[in-house]
Amino acid sequence: MRPVTKKWLFLKISSLILIPLMLWFIINFVSFYDKNYQEIVKFLTSQPSKFFTSLFLVFAYFFSALSINEVFEDYIDDEKIKNAAIKTLNIIAIFIPLITIIIIFNLTYE
Amino acid sequence: MENKNPLSPHLQVYKWHVSSLVSIVTRITGIINILAITLICIWFSSLLLGESNYKIINIFLQSYIGKFIALGITWSFSFQILSEIRHLIMDLGYGFEIKTTNITGVIVIIFSFIFTILIYLLGRQFIL
Repeated sequence: MRPVTKKWLFLKISSLILIPLMLWFIINFVSFYDKNYQEIVKFLTSQPSKFFTSLFLVFAYFFSALSINEVFEDYIDDEKIKNAAIKTLNIIAIFIPLITIIIIFNLTYE
Repeated sequence: MENKNPLSPHLQVYKWHVSSLVSIVTRITGIINILAITLICIWFSSLLLGESNYKIINIFLQSYIGKFIALGITWSFSFQILSEIRHLIMDLGYGFEIKTTNITGVIVIIFSFIFTILIYLLGRQFIL
């Protein structure tokens, strides 16, 4: 399989998985964004929320990295800048969700 | 020799259509969404600082600016969801005719606002 086809396939599969996760997250986000500390921690430490939030973060960053990659390909002319931008994007797409998931799993509701 | 050709998607050359508008807004909302998700990650991480330090963030999120940002993120997510569904349908080989792309484009734009209201009402438990 060509790398471009593989990238397209990954983009479509992640998009298909991300749609219900986005819907789930945004409905919950609207319900808790202005709540107090305890209520947000209670939400994030419950088992299904912990699992779905982690899944949402992984797929959101994976999908975004792939689609922003395309934007870089289309708009950045200089090869060196383009490669540096793509590498930076990939590092961010791995570390931000990873650190956040670790933090979520370390939160405790008292 | 310096390349003076305009970069894709040649925004300054093409005439604007509903489908090109939806395509550009999809890219913009994609970038807004990932910035919003990054802010949400920082917000979740700030919970580790404890309850007393969280009060400032809580006051901000309860303000009109906080509510406006939450509503904006909801619209951006709604637009992205609908646009991705449209893309997936097109990937299956449907809706490539100019008339159909214009109709589905308009549906995405209008329904993104309706969807935002529905999600907000659902999230705030005004419905169901």
